[in-house]
Amino acid sequence: MEYRIKNIALGIISLCLFALMTIIASEYSGSKAKSTDDCLSCHEDKDLVMDSDGSKKSMFVNPELYKKSAHSIAECTDCHLNYKAEELPHSADKKLENCRTCHEDSKGLEKSVHAKTQCIDCHGSHYTKKVSELKNEGDANCMSCHKKKEIAKFSSTIHGKKGVKCNDCHGDGHNVKNISRNQITEMCGKCHSESKMNFKGSIHHTVFKGGGKKTPVCTDCHGVHNTISSKHSIQSEACLNCHLDEKMFPGTETGSAKFVEQYKTSIHASIKKGEMESAGCTDCHGDHMIDSPDDPASSTKRARLIETCGKCHADVVANFKKSKHGVELLKNNEKAPTCSDCHGEHSIKSALLSDGASKLVMADKCLDCHKDGKIPHKNFKGEEELITGYKNSVHYQALVEGNESAPTCSDCHGAHEMELAENPDSKISKKNIANTCGQSDCHGKQLTNFEGSIHEKGVNAGNQDAPTCNNCHGNHGIVSKDLENKLQKSRDLIQLCTNCHESVEMIERNELPTKVSETYKESFHGLATRGGLKEAANCESCHGYHNVRPSSDSLSTIHKNNLPQTCGNCHPGATEILITSKIHLTDLKEDSPWVFWITRFYIILIFGLIGFMLLHNIQDYRKKKKSNAKNEN
Amino acid sequence: MKIDDDKYLRMTLNERVQHFLLLSSFIILVITGFWLKYPEAWWVRWITVLIGENAFNARSLIHRIAAVAMILTSVYHIIYLAASPRGRKLFIDFLPKRSDLTEFGNSMKYLFGNSAEKPRFGRFSYIEKMEYWAVVWGTVIMGATGFILWFKDYFFKYISNTGMEIASAIHFYEAILASLAILVWHFYFVFLNPDVYPVNKAWIRGYLTRQQLEHEHPKWLEEIENKEPVNLEPENNASEALSEIMIIEPKETKTETETETETETETNKDKADNKKNEPETSEIKSEEDNEPERKPVIKNNDEVSDSKNEDNV
Repeated sequence: MEYRIKNIALGIISLCLFALMTIIASEYSGSKAKSTDDCLSCHEDKDLVMDSDGSKKSMFVNPELYKKSAHSIAECTDCHLNYKAEELPHSADKKLENCRTCHEDSKGLEKSVHAKTQCIDCHGSHYTKKVSELKNEGDANCMSCHKKKEIAKFSSTIHGKKGVKCNDCHGDGHNVKNISRNQITEMCGKCHSESKMNFKGSIHHTVFKGGGKKTPVCTDCHGVHNTISSKHSIQSEACLNCHLDEKMFPGTETGSAKFVEQYKTSIHASIKKGEMESAGCTDCHGDHMIDSPDDPASSTKRARLIETCGKCHADVVANFKKSKHGVELLKNNEKAPTCSDCHGEHSIKSALLSDGASKLVMADKCLDCHKDGKIPHKNFKGEEELITGYKNSVHYQALVEGNESAPTCSDCHGAHEMELAENPDSKISKKNIANTCGQSDCHGKQLTNFEGSIHEKGVNAGNQDAPTCNNCHGNHGIVSKDLENKLQKSRDLIQLCTNCHESVEMIERNELPTKVSETYKESFHGLATRGGLKEAANCESCHGYHNVRPSSDSLSTIHKNNLPQTCGNCHPGATEILITSKIHLTDLKEDSPWVFWITRFYIILIFGLIGFMLLHNIQDYRKKKKSNAKNEN
Repeated sequence: MKIDDDKYLRMTLNERVQHFLLLSSFIILVITGFWLKYPEAWWVRWITVLIGENAFNARSLIHRIAAVAMILTSVYHIIYLAASPRGRKLFIDFLPKRSDLTEFGNSMKYLFGNSAEKPRFGRFSYIEKMEYWAVVWGTVIMGATGFILWFKDYFFKYISNTGMEIASAIHFYEAILASLAILVWHFYFVFLNPDVYPVNKAWIRGYLTRQQLEHEHPKWLEEIENKEPVNLEPENNASEALSEIMIIEPKETKTETETETETETETNKDKADNKKNEPETSEIKSEEDNEPERKPVIKNNDEVSDSKNEDNV
């Protein structure tokens, strides 16, 4: 029984199944779907897939979205032509119908870069968007196809962030264009009008217009979609990309790749502010308006260089403009130096990093221009002193021998604030020169000694006759004190002092003690020096050198109280040296009446006695000759 | 003293050596002294060329050596005057006498006045005496001031810089005076003098000729001729003495002078100035004391030498 029931039940179920299958089959194969709803009755199944070239392609159509889309009024079959409901797949020809059977007004599409692009690529298929919707959607639609990394970053660029859309550059709707290099300037200039104006005056643009294919336009430096706004990367990647290329810029001349490469060793490149060089290409050359240095408008033109450098180095340039160099430069004196003449161009180095070698370089640099220059005043020997005399100086020798603290030009003359000696503010003016020599412990001791000396007082009082450092030591050709020839040194020194102390004009003008030179030269000390005794006292042996003071000054080496010590330097046996009269006996009768009268006495004696002897002998001679003649006769 | 018919002894070898030491040290002192005062003179340049660049450094040393040599010679001379009979006679003959004034007056009359009579001179005329005492005076002055200048560091505290100035002034002017006196006075009588021209060789050969004596020292010639006929003995003695002196004397003089210098320097230190005068004056006294020994004096055909000076004929 049971077995039969089971069989009957099975049979019924299978019948039912069969019937159902038949119905379903007839639904698909036999009946023709006529409405969208009909289509959706199957295609609303999310799992509906179709084998396509081995992969499963979803055949799902979201009915709700479809009904909201612009095409909700269109039937499936309006687009899906050649549709055969009974076949699977419905159409062997996958080609969709031309959208333009309906959308006849989509003109110009063929001319656009998208001519071969399917409408649905942009507008979508089942969920077609309206133009207004597309606009709202913005760049995402474009990006769905244009997936290159460079383009993908667009949204994070300054343009992307500020709401610049693809179509702002590439055009709207169906008129999408590629932008050629020729058009880029204009295109960018729509927004960046100022930059465009600047760029059009630049050497880049000029060469570009002349047919230079490799000359950069906006995008070459700024990038295309991945627009760069950071200064740092522009310089290192943009400018140097081309300007370090030796094929593009051959040779070693100004403008060559090798020339530009020096920049990498410069202080401007080595010192960084964050990621950026302290000064990059554009800081000096300008950005859009970049010009050849020969162009009068160029920021790197010689005459304009001080402004350019002054953007950062304002103090320095302000000093420079006041200096003789600066004044001449502003007068358009072609010989006047500008920043780069001393500092170099791309290879510019910091003065803070200067060492002995760079000091020597500086000397050479200065002497390049000043090679024929003469020092305005003659030296103590009455010789003309040349500026190039520096190279014979002890200062230069010390530099050569590796003493890095030895001075080069700027140490005495100042760098940017350099002035002629006539200018009272100059570091080498009469009043300032002692401080210059005594600066930063160069000759500090000597300066201390000099301070308070009679010479220093004169200098400070503005007396042009009073000597300061250079009047005795010389200017550029300054030599070491340790002359091998001690005697020559002594004689030079005497000449040096007597230049002033023997000059009637100087003595009268400054009320100097008279006859000091003559009396010295006639003294034993003076005679011995004249004769060639190295050890004999010269001026400085008694008077000192830097701290020369009058005998009335208690600090003077020739003050009464100090004389025993001063004389004792050479005469150690003389424990007490008695000085009862002046040393320089300028007026014999007054200063030393004894000597005066003894001299008188002897002169009379000599003339009287020797005169008598002469007369006596002449007569004697005559008489003897006469008597001899007589005798002979 | 008559050596032979035409040779009359004027200077013994000893005296000639003294004279030579004096003249050589004097010339060196003059040159090295004026070298200092006129360092740029043309002749200084020649010296520099000859000796070398550092000649000046040697100058002061040479000057001092010559000075010491001269002082030693002077000291020896004083001893010579005191110790030897010939020396004592020499000193006495050099002393100024009243007759010198008369002779000088006559000479003036003869040279500048109307007198046609040529004064007749003895062994030493006023000319030679002036010469001799000028040298004595000069040596004392120059020695004293030179000594002060030499040891300036020591003297500084006693005489002050003024004293040094005075010393150097005196040293300088005395040097001029001495040099000119030698040049004008002495050189004239020894070289230019028509009686002896071109040179009186007494300071080399030691004797004068009869003719020279007749011209210059007629009185002395008379004395010699009148007193005693020429004696061979004294001549022999003299020549023996000469030969002895020639061989031994130079060394002896040196040793003597050295010992002398020791004593002298001691006295020098005490009184630089008076030192020389003192010995001399003492000499004089001793001379006077010894006057009894006049025999040699009477004979004194012997040559008389003024060690320091010139001999003029």
